Amino acid sequence: MQFRSQAVAKPYFIAALALFTGQILFGLIMGLQYVVGDFLFPLIPFNVARMVHTNLLIVWLLFGFMGASYYLVPEEAETELWSPKLAIVTFWVFLAAGALTVLGYLLVPYAALAKLTGNDLLNTMGREFLEQPLPTKVGIVIVALAFLFNIGMTLLKGRKTAISLVLVLGLLGLAVLFLFSFYNPANVVKDKFYWWWVVHLWVEGVWELILGAILAFVLIKVTGVDREVIEKWLYVIITLTLITGILGTGHHYYWIGTPEYWLWIGSVFSALEPIPFFAMTVFAFNMVNRRRREHPNKAATLWALGTGVLSFLGAGLWGFMHTLSPVNYYTHGTQITAAHGHLSFYGAYVAVVLTMISYAMPVMRGRQANSNTAQVVEIWSFWLMSVSMFLMVLFLTGAGILQVWLQRVSETPLSFMGVQDQISLFYWMREGAGLVFLVGLIAYLSSFFIKGETRAA
Amino acid sequence: MPRLAGNEGRMLAVIAECLYLANISMAPILGFAIILWLYYRLPPKGSDLARCHLRQAIAGSIWAGILLILLNAVILLLGGYRSTNTLITLVLYFFTVHSALLLVGMAGLANAMAGKPFVYPLIGRPCHD
Ligand code: HEM
Ligand code: HEM
Ligand SMILES: [Fe+2]
Repeated sequence: MQFRSQAVAKPYFIAALALFTGQILFGLIMGLQYVVGDFLFPLIPFNVARMVHTNLLIVWLLFGFMGASYYLVPEEAETELWSPKLAIVTFWVFLAAGALTVLGYLLVPYAALAKLTGNDLLNTMGREFLEQPLPTKVGIVIVALAFLFNIGMTLLKGRKTAISLVLVLGLLGLAVLFLFSFYNPANVVKDKFYWWWVVHLWVEGVWELILGAILAFVLIKVTGVDREVIEKWLYVIITLTLITGILGTGHHYYWIGTPEYWLWIGSVFSALEPIPFFAMTVFAFNMVNRRRREHPNKAATLWALGTGVLSFLGAGLWGFMHTLSPVNYYTHGTQITAAHGHLSFYGAYVAVVLTMISYAMPVMRGRQANSNTAQVVEIWSFWLMSVSMFLMVLFLTGAGILQVWLQRVSETPLSFMGVQDQISLFYWMREGAGLVFLVGLIAYLSSFFIKGETRAA
Repeated sequence: MPRLAGNEGRMLAVIAECLYLANISMAPILGFAIILWLYYRLPPKGSDLARCHLRQAIAGSIWAGILLILLNAVILLLGGYRSTNTLITLVLYFFTVHSALLLVGMAGLANAMAGKPFVYPLIGRPCHD
């Protein structure tokens, strides 16, 4: 580690992994509820589990992004973090807010929670991914401001590299777009219209900049390829992202009551969205091909390549699968969507955060890379999680096709719940794959506790 | 064989991989036709790097054609046109095989850009006769 203050990233990464584990447990609960309807009823209703599952996902990824930034920016700027203390304070604030929110979801009926937290003051709750009570949303903004200020001040006093500028641009966009979560027009069309400015413009816009920057950073470290080469790629990737992703939002404006021209705009631009993911993959392969040193951290290199491949599959291919309006007409809101949601989130954002953790954690623990045994276990966990996630997505895709067929194409369509009974086999298999994922996650976590011979950093 | 071919050879290698990718995505058949044309136009003493990548592109495209079109047809015929099982098998088959073919080409492209020879796993052929 070049700068002592980079160590503040550690608690962020640990919290991220703890919440990740929680997310998976709730995923498994829901997966079982899909086939055993009254599992854990009335203790944990499906809608609550779903909220916990998705919100934990978002929150732990944010922890991951913040940890990654606290590690990356000082090193790129070649200076200590402006205020490590502030970073620790915001860590605890964010963790407390997150924990309280999840407890609120689990212990208080949602409507009562809304009343309790002043939702009638400013109505923002009740929308997928943005379910957080008002105080939590405000807390997120405060934490984000403190975080950006800290990172910004660090950057200002140090060297400004393309990587850290792209990262900060992405983080700024993340914070600014989150402000739309406070805007909840009564008109449902407008509500949905701006809701996507948070959800879509995050994952298919500004988060991709964060992804590109983190990936570029780790690739420089593990391959030793010249910065100029990597920066050129990064510029190309973010340009492609913004050109395709912004108007690509149109692929969510097909059936919500927006004008018809969105059918064209959405289809054309979002059909190009796989291109930046394509570039990202070729970029990762290319850098590893040209590497000028054999970095002892094999696991981190694997995660970096995995991020490229899996994000291309999940976002690029599984996104393209249902993005053209004539296709989306049939697949909208089915298990196809869930299949894509899982592979894209996992392949892009889970994978990139784990790439960073894989690279930075050993360094923060005083060694260049983990022992051989620890790395072997980590590499196993990569394959276990990635393959089981891919299988889960294949099962969901299968379920989705059948669902579309029986419910929307057939001349004698079945009801929604009638169809769910017909496709339960796929849901059982999804749960099976989920259990393997959990095994992979446990292997991953245990790799942190495996000792063995290591080289000092 | 020199490990780093001249710029021209590398360019041709990159083009070969791009055409392979185009052939299985945006420009089927057309992509393959251009690959063949480039391959037969290459002088015997031309770049080894380009030859290697062109050979992969040809072998890969032929395999892709067989895997994607022919096998799809067989599945369709065996399962009948209106069966949902056929549809599910077909879509899942198409997406897994197609993903794999794309990834192979992307790895090839990355190698071509780095000026390195590359043999497609399973569906490639050796760089020389
Ligand atoms: C890493 C990037 C991406 C992530 C994390 C992601 C995630 C998601 C998620 C979670 C949903 C479901 C939203 C909901 O609850 O309704 C969704 C929907 C969708 N995504 Fe993505 N996505 C990504 C990239 C892409 C790309 C590149 C494309 C197009 C090529 C795409 C096309 C779509 C479409 C068309 C829908 C709407 C599905 C429907 O109509 O139900 N996505 N995405
Ligand atoms: C053990 C593994 C997992 C299981 C069993 C599981 C299960 C589920 C279930 C049942 C849903 C609800 C679908 C619905 O509303 O009908 C869901 C939603 C979701 N999960 Fe998971 N999940 C798992 C892992 C993950 C992981 C690792 C991620 C992120 C990378 C993730 C991201 C999401 C997202 C984004 C949604 C919302 C999808 C949408 O709206 O289409 N899940 N999950
Ligand atoms: Fe989108």
